[in-house]
Amino acid sequence: MKSLFNRGLATGMLAVFTAATALYGQEFKLGTVKGVEQTVQIHGFGTQGFIHTDDNNWLTMNTSNVGSGEFSDIGLNLGSQTTSKFRWAVQGYDRELGQLGRWHPQFDFFMGDYRAKPWLGFRGGKVKTVLGLYTDTQDMDFDHTFALLPQSMYPIDLRDTSIAHLGGDIYGKAKLPNKYGSLAYTAYGGRRKDSKYSGYPYLLENVAPGVHIYLGGSYGGPVWGGDLRWNTPLKGLVIGASRQNERISGSGTLSVPAAHIAGAPYSEHSFADWTNWFYGKFDKNKWHFASEYKRYYQAKDIFGEEAWFDVDTRGWYASGAYTANKWLEVGSYYSHYRAFFGGADLVPNGPHLAYPSLTEAEKHDYDKVITGKFTINQYFTVKVEGHFMDGNGQATYPDGFYPAVNPTIQDNTNAFVVRAGFSF
Amino acid sequence: MKKLLSIFLLLGAASILTVHAQAQVIVIANNSVKATEVSKSDLRDVFTGAATELKDGSRVVPILLKAGTVHEEFLQVYIGKNDTAYRAGWRSLVFSGQATMPKSLDTDAAIVEFVAHNAGAIGYINKASAHEGVKVLTVK
Repeated sequence: MKSLFNRGLATGMLAVFTAATALYGQEFKLGTVKGVEQTVQIHGFGTQGFIHTDDNNWLTMNTSNVGSGEFSDIGLNLGSQTTSKFRWAVQGYDRELGQLGRWHPQFDFFMGDYRAKPWLGFRGGKVKTVLGLYTDTQDMDFDHTFALLPQSMYPIDLRDTSIAHLGGDIYGKAKLPNKYGSLAYTAYGGRRKDSKYSGYPYLLENVAPGVHIYLGGSYGGPVWGGDLRWNTPLKGLVIGASRQNERISGSGTLSVPAAHIAGAPYSEHSFADWTNWFYGKFDKNKWHFASEYKRYYQAKDIFGEEAWFDVDTRGWYASGAYTANKWLEVGSYYSHYRAFFGGADLVPNGPHLAYPSLTEAEKHDYDKVITGKFTINQYFTVKVEGHFMDGNGQATYPDGFYPAVNPTIQDNTNAFVVRAGFSF
Repeated sequence: MKKLLSIFLLLGAASILTVHAQAQVIVIANNSVKATEVSKSDLRDVFTGAATELKDGSRVVPILLKAGTVHEEFLQVYIGKNDTAYRAGWRSLVFSGQATMPKSLDTDAAIVEFVAHNAGAIGYINKASAHEGVKVLTVK
């Protein structure tokens, strides 16, 4: 049934592709208010991908046999500039990534935005989170060289953990004197909530052999942070930094059939949870370079302060791309992910949980990537990409390699990715 | 030698044509816009969604041509991108909730008509097209 559905989806996507000429962002008149014409715009995007790997199954798909095409997403956007200072927008998003997403649509965002001055704007509702260069645009496949952004920074299976927050932003941009460029800032606060079809809840369902934790759709909490980026006087060079703080809680049930435990209460709560992120990008003529670094630290108690543990991961990448002509762009990146483990006694009541002994491959994932992006026209792109991964980095977080679809996880993996997308 | 000379002549002709083509685009604005001139970097910022005001504080709204040589030339000279990359940049802003796509119109006449009747509107047309009722901004 599922494969039938996938075939249907693929056919649908093909139909959209062949209807290229009909695609264009649409604008509809709603009426006139105080002499100003009111319109609403409709835009959309979607992708269909295929992944084959030589060893491990990747991203919750069965990729290591023939490969998997359970790699699709689609978004639809409505928006209107109601006055010169106010606009609203709403976007629906849906995806399937192997066992994740599973075609359960969600609001990507719904927001009102009031831009009082260029240096002072407010937006509220469900708002995309500004974090590093691409967190808020990570789904915009058409705008990126790569089919998969560096997974050390933008793990596609954990998209829900950073994509948006329910709350508000204060933002703006100001030119600096003496031609020192301009500064753009965003400060935000609110709550985030993960879909139960996201990577972390899925991981917990089979967190260890015979151990199952079901979060039951409750995983999230307050989030606040900011971003500051400098458009330097050197044309094309942008550098910046982001910081995010969170306090994430989840509750559900624990089952360990071998120990006759069924439906025992489970809870977790992060009491130190932050991300530091630094980035830069440089565009010069046909060349595009980017590099980012992030450190993510989380210490959490589980089972109501009975025990606690922490994760400390560092990721960075360096990428380069060259636009050969209007149809072809080639690029490459090196993505570096490494997990570290700490152990301060931050919870008075609980012992620090020791990690099992880990192999070197479980502590890192170094991914070397080459890509060719073919731009058919302004609506359609096709990407062909190779990944050469050293390590599986699944010690702290699955990093794409989940035990549920990998009874034994090999050290290294090569992947072949094809992704076609449209946008209008 | 003859071949080399032909190539040089062709390159020379192409560069003359390019210079000639660059002179075909003019930037127009609604009469409510105070500025009479605009810097290339301001123009790029406004037409890529990075800014909503000119240096003198005039609030502006960019209007695009849907396609054509004038559109391509404008993007090439002032934005430094081709149409596909340019629109992808705007869509990225739209899909991340940061902007609304600028209005795109089919003809120079439609651009002039819209710019003339909408405060803050700024657009570009072929120099040879009629442009009564709008002001022409000098690009520095």
